[in-house]
Amino acid sequence: MERSWWWKLALYGAAIVLAVLYLVPTVVTEEKNLPAFFQKYFKKRIQLGLDLKGGLHLVYEVNIEKAVSSKVDRLANEVDDALRKKGADFTVVRTGRDDIAINFKVPGEAGKLDDELLKPFRRDLDVVSRDPATGTVKLKYDSDRVAEVEELALRQAIETIRGRVDAFGVAEPTIIKKGTDIIVELPGAKEKDFERIKSIIGRTAQLEFKIVDDGSDYMKKVAAAVSKSGAITVAPESWTEKHQGTQHEDVYLRVKEKDKDELTKFIAGLAGDLAVPNDREFGLELMSPREVNEGTPDKYYRTYLLKKRAGVTGEYLQNAEESWDEMGRPEVAFTMNRQGSDMMGKLTGENVGRKMAVVLDEKITSAPVIESKISDRGRITMGGYGDPFKLQQEVKDLVGVLRSGALPAPLKKSFETQVGATLGQDAIDKAKMSMGIGALMVILFMLIYYRVAGFIANLAMTLNMLFMIAILAAFEASLTLPGIAGLVLTIGMAVDSNIIIYERIREELRLGKSPRTAVDAGFQRAFWTVFDAHVTNFVAGIVLYSYGSGPIRGFAVTLLVGIVTNLLTSVWISHWMFAVLVNRRGTVKSTLSI
Amino acid sequence: MAEQQKFFEVIKSGTDIDFIGNQKYWIGASIVLVLVTFIMLPVNLYLHGHVLNWGVEFKGGTQLVVEFNKTVDASQVRDALTAAGLHNADVVKYGSESGTQAFMVTLGSVSIMSGEQAKKVEAAIARVGDASLHKFESSEGGDKIYLRFDKNVEPPTIAAALRATGTETTQIQSFGPPEDHTYEVTLIGMEGEVHKALDAKLGAGTVKAIPSVSSVGAKAGKQLQIDGVRALLGAILLIVIYVAFRFDFRYGPGTIVALLHDAVITVGAFAVTYKEFSLTTLAAILTIIGFSMNDTIVVFDRIRENAAKYRDRKFDKVVNHAINETLSRTILTSATVFFVTLAMNIFGTGVIRDFAFAMNVGVIVGTYSSIFIASPILIWLNEKYVAMQKRQAARPERNVRKPARRDEEEAAET
Repeated sequence: MERSWWWKLALYGAAIVLAVLYLVPTVVTEEKNLPAFFQKYFKKRIQLGLDLKGGLHLVYEVNIEKAVSSKVDRLANEVDDALRKKGADFTVVRTGRDDIAINFKVPGEAGKLDDELLKPFRRDLDVVSRDPATGTVKLKYDSDRVAEVEELALRQAIETIRGRVDAFGVAEPTIIKKGTDIIVELPGAKEKDFERIKSIIGRTAQLEFKIVDDGSDYMKKVAAAVSKSGAITVAPESWTEKHQGTQHEDVYLRVKEKDKDELTKFIAGLAGDLAVPNDREFGLELMSPREVNEGTPDKYYRTYLLKKRAGVTGEYLQNAEESWDEMGRPEVAFTMNRQGSDMMGKLTGENVGRKMAVVLDEKITSAPVIESKISDRGRITMGGYGDPFKLQQEVKDLVGVLRSGALPAPLKKSFETQVGATLGQDAIDKAKMSMGIGALMVILFMLIYYRVAGFIANLAMTLNMLFMIAILAAFEASLTLPGIAGLVLTIGMAVDSNIIIYERIREELRLGKSPRTAVDAGFQRAFWTVFDAHVTNFVAGIVLYSYGSGPIRGFAVTLLVGIVTNLLTSVWISHWMFAVLVNRRGTVKSTLSI
Repeated sequence: MAEQQKFFEVIKSGTDIDFIGNQKYWIGASIVLVLVTFIMLPVNLYLHGHVLNWGVEFKGGTQLVVEFNKTVDASQVRDALTAAGLHNADVVKYGSESGTQAFMVTLGSVSIMSGEQAKKVEAAIARVGDASLHKFESSEGGDKIYLRFDKNVEPPTIAAALRATGTETTQIQSFGPPEDHTYEVTLIGMEGEVHKALDAKLGAGTVKAIPSVSSVGAKAGKQLQIDGVRALLGAILLIVIYVAFRFDFRYGPGTIVALLHDAVITVGAFAVTYKEFSLTTLAAILTIIGFSMNDTIVVFDRIRENAAKYRDRKFDKVVNHAINETLSRTILTSATVFFVTLAMNIFGTGVIRDFAFAMNVGVIVGTYSSIFIASPILIWLNEKYVAMQKRQAARPERNVRKPARRDEEEAAET
């Protein structure tokens, strides 16, 4: 008993010290006030959830219906065009979301819609039925393609949302996929920005190909106007067109990633002589330095002067895939559909040697040089000789963007919660008060009813709170309003465990046992009851967690953590404290204040 | 041996109340409460149009907290909203502090574009400049509409045309290939519309702020309802499996019935008071199930222990004795939890308050159900089991007793 007593003291003492260490950053709210030791080892703290801090919680579903039906609309138009060239008299009717029916005036002409004509559509359209009597041919959009559209649209939607959210500079945004829904949480977003944020996030992504206007006099003028002392620097670039050997020279502006605002401000401020021409616009691309010099080079933004009108948009892309060039470097190969081929051929044919910017959502993802006329097939080389693995990742990302960009899938908001910061503060105050009153009542009750034992129970309960909050801090859990309710309920549970044990000890004492045996018997007999009770609550907690949307999950987390710490404090630690009470060195007490 | 100690106690040791003997009254009371619940659901459907006062999470719609600069009353707010075409708004006072005038406004729609509004707008913008509208797409509850024209129209022109019909937009961009001339129009949110409607009717600057808005599409709401029922049943099932594993099968059915009983009566309390039934309420019900189970386990544990100890007593006496022995703990725990949640109910706000109300009801019902519902079912099942055992004992070739549980079975049989 003696030796294990000391071991336990050391163990519990260590746990308490650790818990206190984890709590310090949460108590010291300003990170800069934190001593260096904590900055290094114990930086994690409890985050306030959205309902307490204020912010936005949005759930979007990707409107696959709309994406698929526009795609089928387009296919119907293409079939219509192709068939009209063959000189048939017919009408095209769109029946369901995936269905196209073609009614021929003269039933005999239905044969004109043959396999040869349908060849370009064989991946997309299946012939469902041909009715020679009425001259009706029914086509259906391939179901595999629908699934593909869904997957790509979802992936692209998440990518674009992430890009857009990052632009707001909200701390710790959460963007997760749940089924076909996308959940966006922006704790701490400003109330006045809610409307703007929502409208920007919910926009449909646009993929465009725009030609870069290099070597313009306008750009030279702008470059000359850049002040030498600011964050913006002017850089020249040049490249040679492969076949003709034409030289291209250009200047562009660049800033370090963190100084992006300065660049956008500079561009927005261009006026008078320097005003951006009507048919031109600036585009920005975030660049990773190609050669790694000494130290870690910063990422930077660079400008392109673009022709405003998009030559081709993503709608005309048929497919994009990963591929490798002669040097074995990863690149993107894409194919255009018929209409797209014509437009792309025209655009690139006129601009060989220039750069073509791939613009997603008004941001340039890459701007390769057009090496030759592209019609139905093109390649985008990523350039750069950096980390091949990273390069490959970039290629994969771009393929994802291109493939799904071919189909605009609008986002549909299905769930929204926005909480202003003031409401959050009010909620915190009220929650704190109700929690304080509840806890005070429990503490008083335990003291009056169980005296010294009640004091032990209160001590155990305090330790329980300490451990709970420390664990929440260690996991950087967010504390929500229901989470606070969970904390209060844990007090209830702690009280229950203590009451079960104490009532048992009392029963043992009534049987005439000595305090020491009664305490041991009480704890031993009550253990399984307490344990079972905790397990069942734990089960309910797990179900809550897995069901959990937002706030409920917060409740479940505190409940689950509380169950574990409560078992530790009210069974083991308080048993140990009782052992100290009834079994002090030399004296064996004959009564117990319980 | 130490002398007999005196304790401060609410329930004196040796208390022997005949719970089991009077069970028919208690069970009768439960049946009445459950019946009240089931009667209230269709009554609510008739009175209010919904079986329960579903929170916005479940029914779909928009819920806003609106703070005012001056004193207004709920009917004024409702009228102002109706005047702007926002019908059937539910307006209740929010918060209790003096000085602030705040109302919680609940609207059935999540988008300013209702079905009839859409028709009106479609007719009004049939021609914009020299372009004519080919296709007008809006989905119920969508925050966007899609317009297809026969030729290019500049977004500002569309915005102006829409504004003329009273439809505010936040953004218009072209959608799809340029020759489709299709535009995606993002409408202003409900809070903007509510703000506009209230200021228009009650004077500019009346609305101080709209600090909280939540909106849920009807489809998402349905899904949450389904998920909720699934979570409830899943939790009950898992708990019962655990009990069957820790005790034995005779203890299972009593627990299921008791848990369902608690869940149903708590829902009943929400049906009778027509308080809002939200996601938080659901969380409270799941917590109640955990707590009620807690109670049942404490009683069952003692029944099991005593059944092994007092083999010469009748099983129903053993049960009654076990209930009495644990009564002190049952009352103390339930009372503490009850008062803690009562404090949360009185001093808390919003979500915490709803949660606490459900807990108040649930703690009472949960305590009661472990004594008056779970235990009688256990006794009844035990009788059946013993009778079956006796029949089987008459045929010695099929003795299926499990040796591990022998002692308690024997105790129960005698």
